[in-house]
Amino acid sequence: MDRPIAYDKLAREDRFVRMRAREVAQVKVEQGLPPFPGLFSRESIKERVHGIMVGELQAMEGAGRTVYDFPDAPWEFTMDMARQVWDESRHVDIYIRLLEHLDGYIGEFPETTILWRCACAEDAAARVAGVNRGLEGLACDVFNQLVHIARKMGDPILERAVDFVLADEITHVRMGSKWLTKLTEGDPERRRRAIEFQETIDERFNLGGARQDGAHDAVPISIAREARELGGFTDEEIERLIKTTQRSPVY
Amino acid sequence: MSAPVGASTRPDGDAGGPHPLQGFSSADESARLIRNYRYAVERMMRILGGWIALTPELSAKLLLGRHVWDNAQHADVLGKRLPELRAQAQMSEPPNAAFVAFMNAIEEPERPDQSVERLVGVYRVLKPHLIASYEDHLRRINSVYEPPTERILVRLIEEERRHVAAGSTILRHLSAAPGLAERGDAWQAQLEELLAAAGGVTGAGLPAPARLDGPPSTPALNDDPSQFIRLEQSPTHWPIPEALEGALAGFGAALVARDAAGLGRWLASELLAAGSPAARLAGLGPETHRVVAFAKIGDKRAVKIRLEGVRAAGAERRRDPPHALGPDGRRLARGSRRRGRPRPASARLTAVLSRVLIANRGRSPAG
Repeated sequence: MDRPIAYDKLAREDRFVRMRAREVAQVKVEQGLPPFPGLFSRESIKERVHGIMVGELQAMEGAGRTVYDFPDAPWEFTMDMARQVWDESRHVDIYIRLLEHLDGYIGEFPETTILWRCACAEDAAARVAGVNRGLEGLACDVFNQLVHIARKMGDPILERAVDFVLADEITHVRMGSKWLTKLTEGDPERRRRAIEFQETIDERFNLGGARQDGAHDAVPISIAREARELGGFTDEEIERLIKTTQRSPVY
Repeated sequence: MSAPVGASTRPDGDAGGPHPLQGFSSADESARLIRNYRYAVERMMRILGGWIALTPELSAKLLLGRHVWDNAQHADVLGKRLPELRAQAQMSEPPNAAFVAFMNAIEEPERPDQSVERLVGVYRVLKPHLIASYEDHLRRINSVYEPPTERILVRLIEEERRHVAAGSTILRHLSAAPGLAERGDAWQAQLEELLAAAGGVTGAGLPAPARLDGPPSTPALNDDPSQFIRLEQSPTHWPIPEALEGALAGFGAALVARDAAGLGRWLASELLAAGSPAARLAGLGPETHRVVAFAKIGDKRAVKIRLEGVRAAGAERRRDPPHALGPDGRRLARGSRRRGRPRPASARLTAVLSRVLIANRGRSPAG
């Protein structure tokens, strides 16, 4: 197998429709819809849950590739990534069941591969910074908000299941924080490049200003400050993220 | 008169059996065997991880995803035993070059349509062989001074048996189409030859095959292969409006009929002006067509159509999908033939029109 594999080798069953994120957003904006589904109706929650299910699928695939792509990385790194594969595979399971719970189906919305592309960084440090801190950090934001909304809606199935997934995601962010430091020890240039990669991902996943520092039911995606702190983000990093959300007009 | 070496009087008084302190290997040899096992397990674990992205079927993806972590733990526990045997921790060592070649062959099938070969290699050849090797080791191990290794092997055998049972369930599910089971059998035979040539995971020859026909332990809900299949078969019900269904049927019929003019009615005028997408689409000339995906984007719909029996000529080398927008900008079709499989030029192909986005909700095309 190639290390890493080409983006377009990501294998899917026929029932998935794959499109560029930008293209999906454009089609929505043309219809006067927000580019990223909100949490204000059951239909939009279903669309978001579908997006998360696909994201978990790509996260499982990405973590699997990390296990394969870096045979010379420290063994404990491989162990963490293998554990992540298991977690993500359970998350796929959970989100398919949640999708069914919301009367949705696999393939109901297009799949975008923006997440998978981020998981294809060639350097292990960049990959954990981008995936475990950038993308899993976003997952903490999204899931934390979803737990809150589910509680408010009175949907204990959604609330409880996502709460446990959130706990796993915080663990993954923590792994990212640990391995970003360990893999770049004594190599400040590598660390700088990895963090830079993470920041491009953070910027991209501000989703045109959808992610903001604000109340769960007041903003499209609220930043999960506490969950991020548990995952090893410093106050300074969180403040920097908040600042970037204020200058992300482009989807 | 003293007894000969190796035949000392047994302190437990059981004169018929082997001496309780009799063993079959030195500590160094035991460490080597563990490094051999670890080589196979670690490499298998990495291969399973790498394959997840290359495997389309959800049931197989979930199976691989669950087992990567189990096998990482197996490699870890084997690796942690090594320093207890005066060896370096977490080291892997293949027994010989032929076993490396066997593992290379296991890893080889990576096309999306080779899930059966992937699973056969791991679940019908490698894992059963590992179980047999561990059991063989257990039969000969000394239970007085090697309980640490014994306990590890007992755990590995139990979990690998569960894996094999789960893999067999998924394989039966994936091999249902005609010819796939035979393809799997042929691949299994090839791999078994390579494994025998290597002398197995230890290089010392193949142990007696493990008996795998016993009832597997009941899997937890989280780890149950029948659940993976159930999730793969999660209901997909496309609420395609009747008129839209008619429009898609018309588009498909024009494709089958190789009717460029008929196809042209569905394509954007600007695209028709820029080239001849209708003629190129008509050149695909499939025998059949069917909708395989139907996704929502607000009020619009993204539709994927599978074409069976596509003519090779003209479709073989195209990489850029044709684009087609409806005359009013509301219809768009994009097609791309599936790539990656070498085929003879005259072969009948399967193609997927990856996207046909129709926003008119089934209104007939203008004209």
